Amino acid sequence: MTISIPTAVLIIVLGLVGIGIYALLTTRHLIKVIVALQLLVKGAMLALVLAGHLTGQDDLGQSLAITVIIADTIVAVIGMALAVQVRRVVGTLDLRSLTSLRR
Amino acid sequence: MAELLILLTIGLPWLGALFCWAAGDRHPRLQHGLAVAFSLAAGIAALLLIPFGKDQVLITLSVGGAFGNFTFSPDGLGVFLAAVATVIGSLAVIFSVDYMRSEDQLGRYYAFVLFFIGAMVGLVLTTNLLLMFAFWEITALTSYALISFHNDDLKAVAGGIKALIITQFGGLGLLIGALVLFANTGSYDILTIIANPGILPAGALAWMAFGCLAAGAAKSAQFPFQTWLPDAMEAPTPVSALIHAATMVNAGVYLLARFFPAFEGVPGWREAVMAVGMLSALLAAVMAIFATDLKRVLAYSTVSQLGYMVYAVGAGGIFAAQFHLLSHSVFKALLFLGAGAVIHSVGTRDMRQMGGLGKNMPFVRLVFVIGALALAGLPVLNGFWSKELILEAGLAHGNPLWMLFVMLVVSGLTAFYSFRMVWLVFYGQPRAELHAHDAGPAMKVALAPLAIGTLTTWLLAGSFSRLLSESLPAHQIAAHSTGEILLEVLTAPITLIALLVIALGLVCWWQRDRLAGVKRALTGLQITATNSFGFEAVNRAVVLGAQNSAEKLRSTQTGVLGWNVAYLVIALIGVLAILLLGVGLP
Amino acid sequence: MVHGLIAAVTLVCAIQAVRATRLLVSALWLAGASALVALEMYLLGAPEIAVIELSVGAGLVTVLFVFAINLTGEENLDARRMIPRPLAWTMLFIAGALLLIFILPGINQPATGQVYGAFREIFWEDRQLDTLLQIIMILAGVLGVLGLLSDQKTGQIAPYEEHGA
Repeated sequence: MTISIPTAVLIIVLGLVGIGIYALLTTRHLIKVIVALQLLVKGAMLALVLAGHLTGQDDLGQSLAITVIIADTIVAVIGMALAVQVRRVVGTLDLRSLTSLRR
Repeated sequence: MAELLILLTIGLPWLGALFCWAAGDRHPRLQHGLAVAFSLAAGIAALLLIPFGKDQVLITLSVGGAFGNFTFSPDGLGVFLAAVATVIGSLAVIFSVDYMRSEDQLGRYYAFVLFFIGAMVGLVLTTNLLLMFAFWEITALTSYALISFHNDDLKAVAGGIKALIITQFGGLGLLIGALVLFANTGSYDILTIIANPGILPAGALAWMAFGCLAAGAAKSAQFPFQTWLPDAMEAPTPVSALIHAATMVNAGVYLLARFFPAFEGVPGWREAVMAVGMLSALLAAVMAIFATDLKRVLAYSTVSQLGYMVYAVGAGGIFAAQFHLLSHSVFKALLFLGAGAVIHSVGTRDMRQMGGLGKNMPFVRLVFVIGALALAGLPVLNGFWSKELILEAGLAHGNPLWMLFVMLVVSGLTAFYSFRMVWLVFYGQPRAELHAHDAGPAMKVALAPLAIGTLTTWLLAGSFSRLLSESLPAHQIAAHSTGEILLEVLTAPITLIALLVIALGLVCWWQRDRLAGVKRALTGLQITATNSFGFEAVNRAVVLGAQNSAEKLRSTQTGVLGWNVAYLVIALIGVLAILLLGVGLP
Repeated sequence: MVHGLIAAVTLVCAIQAVRATRLLVSALWLAGASALVALEMYLLGAPEIAVIELSVGAGLVTVLFVFAINLTGEENLDARRMIPRPLAWTMLFIAGALLLIFILPGINQPATGQVYGAFREIFWEDRQLDTLLQIIMILAGVLGVLGLLSDQKTGQIAPYEEHGA
């Protein structure tokens, strides 16, 4: 059985997004959350490139993908900076202990 | 050139906000210096922008398709308010150098003040209604943050929250207006709708008109939203002078004046605007007569004077409203800063404890009396000319005469409480052991230009009317020279009547001992007025309701990331299901 | 065929990144997944994006991960999940199925649609606001790095305390 190129890319997209969301739903570790976000966003980025490819607007899709790469990298950087500070102040990276705003 | 100046006027204060915050609270002198430098630079940029007001240039910042381009137009209304915001803003910042000398966390203070100045300039210069909404909300945010600046003081926090919640109703009105405009025309452009209101169906135009009226009333603390302004007096006094007297509260009047050509044809709109202005002017003036807190008297008088402007817009006197706005910004900023100097010196706001302070602070007394006489509307000061113009506008265009009569009565009340305030603070016998000293050097630097402005801004009447008439063709403002306007005011019979009423107000204060019987008869009125005629309770109920429902919703915030993501996924499933059921398969 | 293979390996990398108990291992699997996504983009005819993704996504972010993990240390949390696993699977399954219903009919259609212009034009001229916001984001990222590198100043921040204790 041969699969077409778009189908293969679609599998990657849905797989990455699904795995990312699954990890976000279940993980309790702050750094794992960042890993999950990275996976999710890579799926979204590939989806943009694919959508541009499918509709014949390669350049539009790619220019949006660049924005996604920048945003995603900065989210990762700030997330990690946050994690380092949380570890210093709270003493753990367990998300369940980060609910001080809750009553 | 105009493009650069507009960007500078908005960008310089914002840049200054960033620098003041980054300078760190360990370097207060550097923060004072940075704030003064950036606000002054913005003031100069705004003044340089005024000559471009006549050219009707339109500056477009292309931001790609989705929301329309960000457009700015330095027309007469815009440049004039931008100049007021930045010039009075820089004076308030200079005043703060003395007033906030011993305070902590200056970075937060100056960052929000400068952020406000930039947003206010953006609000009056933009012609994109969505962008205007964004600036509108930034000013609300900074106003809240500065009212609650002393965030360890419960009253300050409560006042800030109240202002935020009440003005949000206004923001909602503006948003409705913007969405109605976009839904019907596909753009947020203000200029098209003003030039040709017919492009909107009558029903949609009415929604937009009354949405903007709600927005303007909430922002300008008009009936029935008026009670947030007195509570906002917990803010540091320079903030009260800048945001809650000279600039932000004028945004409502600006909005109504800006859209007047579009909305004047909506049935009932003009009458509603006049009624809102008249009720605010009357109720606030009565409350000012009985208030004992110096800043609250000024707050009530602000509501009352804003009521005059709103009334003038409804009556069709756009020029009169804007001219009074200019006068009021100057003399009310002067009064607030003067009151700030008094409060800073004696450490209380209660006028019952003051008295006889004039001997120790002659400079403050001099400028404060100038401001109070302008507020009362005595001749030659700027408040006189603009108030008379408003009363004349009330006489024209077939407006109801009984409303004009109420406004005349209010001008008598204004004279009465202005005189009472000056007397209680500066004259008579000292009523408490208060140690008073005159204003500091930075305070004097800020007060002197405002006092000079109060004495002279009426000379600008001619060029101001020319600026408005040339740059706002849809508003149909006739251009007159200063001489013509002054002659018109002096020869109008209504001026004589108004002066008589004002004199009556002064005589009432003079002969207050003989009128003791009247005062006793008015005790009931005093009690109702001190309770804001019941609107305080209504407003408090609204604020409490909003806070309680927020508290209840809080239980949905588990703080657990997993559940937040789960709700996102459930929402995605919901959207897809709706698409599938409603639209069907692609 | 190549594409199918890439897809399979990418997903294996992603699953391993999520499953790995040691954070360093997890970060390395993530880098692998990122590199394969970059390869796929190259094959789809987007070499510029592929290069950026490879250098930033697989390179820079991995280095930062290693750095951050060094600073925070490995921490073994007990296995209790935030959300019960069956619930997570059910939600994902429903969402994925609904998405597939929408996507599948169009996936193998030939390209249609109007071409908007060259990459450079779109990026620098049609999306100015986005470009501006990206610059602001990069500034925020710089602040983030400063936070990452800042000295141990634990003394300045009050230690976290459980409320009601």
